[in-house]
Amino acid sequence: MIPPALQLRNIHKRYGSTTALAGAALAVEWGETHALLGENGAGKSTLLRIAGGLERADGGPIEVGGGRAVIRSPRDARRLGIGMVHQHPTSIPSLTVAENIALTAGWRVQPREIRGRVLELSGALGLPIDPDSYAGRLPIALKQRLEILKALAARARILLLDEPTAVLAPLEAEELLRVLTGFAGVGNAVVIVTHKLREALSAASRVTVLRHGAVTLVGNSDTETPDSVSRAMLGGAGRPEPSATRSDARTSEPPAIRLQALDVARDGRYGIALRGAALSVLPGEIVGIAAVEGAGQRELMRAVAGLIEPLRGVLEVRQPVAFVPEDRTTEGLILPLSLAENMVLGMGEQAPGVAGALVSWKAASAATADLIARFGMTAAGPEAQAGTLSGGNQQKLVLARALARNPKVIVAENPTRGLDVAAAAEVHRRLREAAAGGTAVLFHSSDLDELLALSDRLVVASGGVLREPERRDRDLVGRMMIGAA
Amino acid sequence: MTDGIELLAGFLAAAVRVATPLLLAATGETISERGGVINLGIEGSMLAGALAAAIGSSAGGPWSGLAAALIAGATLAAVFALVSVHAGADQIIAGTAITLGAVGLTGAVYRAYYGTAGAGLSIPTLAPVEVPVLAEIPLLGAALFAQPLTTYFAVALVPATWWYLFRTRGGLALRAAGESADGARAAGVRVRATRTLAVVAGGALAGLAGATLVLAQVGTFSERMTAGRGFIAIAIVVLGRWHPGGVLVAALFFGAATALQFVFQASGTAVPYQLFLMLPYVLALLGLAGAVGRVRAPRDLGRPERAS
Repeated sequence: MIPPALQLRNIHKRYGSTTALAGAALAVEWGETHALLGENGAGKSTLLRIAGGLERADGGPIEVGGGRAVIRSPRDARRLGIGMVHQHPTSIPSLTVAENIALTAGWRVQPREIRGRVLELSGALGLPIDPDSYAGRLPIALKQRLEILKALAARARILLLDEPTAVLAPLEAEELLRVLTGFAGVGNAVVIVTHKLREALSAASRVTVLRHGAVTLVGNSDTETPDSVSRAMLGGAGRPEPSATRSDARTSEPPAIRLQALDVARDGRYGIALRGAALSVLPGEIVGIAAVEGAGQRELMRAVAGLIEPLRGVLEVRQPVAFVPEDRTTEGLILPLSLAENMVLGMGEQAPGVAGALVSWKAASAATADLIARFGMTAAGPEAQAGTLSGGNQQKLVLARALARNPKVIVAENPTRGLDVAAAAEVHRRLREAAAGGTAVLFHSSDLDELLALSDRLVVASGGVLREPERRDRDLVGRMMIGAA
Repeated sequence: MTDGIELLAGFLAAAVRVATPLLLAATGETISERGGVINLGIEGSMLAGALAAAIGSSAGGPWSGLAAALIAGATLAAVFALVSVHAGADQIIAGTAITLGAVGLTGAVYRAYYGTAGAGLSIPTLAPVEVPVLAEIPLLGAALFAQPLTTYFAVALVPATWWYLFRTRGGLALRAAGESADGARAAGVRVRATRTLAVVAGGALAGLAGATLVLAQVGTFSERMTAGRGFIAIAIVVLGRWHPGGVLVAALFFGAATALQFVFQASGTAVPYQLFLMLPYVLALLGLAGAVGRVRAPRDLGRPERAS
């Protein structure tokens, strides 16, 4: 019997008083695409980082290709043929694609030669890329492709990917998964960390599920069901069912958002991102915007949120508007500031403790403590730095702050990105509640499933134009997103 | 014995006097850096303020001098803000250019006004204002309560700046802009306007700092008379951990180091006095080396707001 490509057994890892992994295990065969599933904080990223040499386990043997392996650094991992693709790109923005790859792979920096080698590599793998582009200028999907090429150029045979599809449009994600299974199929091994059940079960041949740092399920993807996997992830309860889509739209009232013939400039660059946009959203209605990166949805959201001045056209938005930005770590929150400070900053006049130009921190802290309790956040208290919260709790804070203003309109960009199933369900519940209370919700998501689950109505943005699909249909919407329908 | 006490009282008074312009400039720079802008041009603003104070005071008395200094310092800072905050130029280079430009500009204006000789320039100055009774306290009285009005102002500015930064919405917006321009923008803060105002306010205070050199200390203007005090103020901001109270302590520390040098010189040792001139700067290096590892600058300090 051929030994597995990668085997981790009885892995333990503690950070201070927190146990991240308690006897976790992972076995990946050659030729296999393996999905590692779990909620946020289940330990899946930690396990992957241990295999990739970014963290060291407190205990537990690692074997690569049947031999005992000591992986102390990413360098060790690379020598063993393990390549890691991070969730956030690690390329150097001011170097070209070819230079970045040469740097990682340790090639001689001979411009023409590395260019040729990159073209050859990307052609062979079916991952086309322009070797002369600067890494920093690539769209997110290509940035990720570059990460994969870097790992493979360094002769990785075992590829570890942390949430590789989180940033991709549905079709891009499918394409990537096809390439990865192809790569695994020719005698390599691929591990994908994900929290998307559908994707894991369709792309991977086997799945491992972690919960609280221990394995709760190892199985073949064709015998497991979304139900059995989500039970393993959540511990019994199973996936919280998205409540049946039920519109609270108040048709008798005038729209809360109304755009007509609206043109918006590209955010921060020249050119027009959105042209002739028309859209109205009723109070109580939830409208989802489906779009691939750069289709104008960002500018749409920001124009409605009042952050970008449109070039021309009609833009009527009922106030107050609450905005939930895409990236909670750079825009949603200011991580070095405390929770209470973030709360006051994001709420303006309506913030607790604010009287004119003055802030009473006592009142602000009390109100923040109240929100922490009501939203079930895990936080040391209102004085804790926002940066000390986990991703799910940060997003809860952003949302809690947005909702605390009793907004007439909520604008949200990818409101559940990077959240685990339970936290995402909680975010959806809160948004629905707000809609039931008469708030108009306009949101964008890169996840088609989320769009279908949460929205009352779907609108596709493609090439700067807004269109409404005839049917709520995955395929149709997917094709409209890339301008193929 | 009386001699010793007198020497000590003189030392303390000198320390506070020397610390005043440093405190003003460093408080201004604290405001600017809390907003995310490091302004090396404050040395230039100080120099411009010093010259403006000299001209203004000759023409209309010390108060006109102070007003002219505020305007001159703020104007240079506004130019810096235009280049660095709005056009997004590198703050270190822009600030250095402003300072070097100010050296040339003040030199040219000074010669145009007073001729190349420049000798015998004597300017109406601010007299010390003694606080009744308190000024009579032995030892500390003269140091704390017989100072020019600018010193009292500089000290009052410390709690005022603290209050602004930590108790007002404007202060929160300013700190947010310094920690994360993107986050502040998403929260509805007008980052560029906020930073511009902070820089201009900082420049005005630097101008005032220059004025105190002329109007409360030297009584005359000479070319390059600020002699790096603006840069020392920037070091004071770091040493004071970007906190108004810390800045006060650090400024007094520098004042004391400089005054100590006067004492050593006056005591007539055989050591060359240039070595004593080094004292504050050596202390600055030591202080920074000890402090820097433990402090955290505003996260977006020195970074222009990105367009998208």
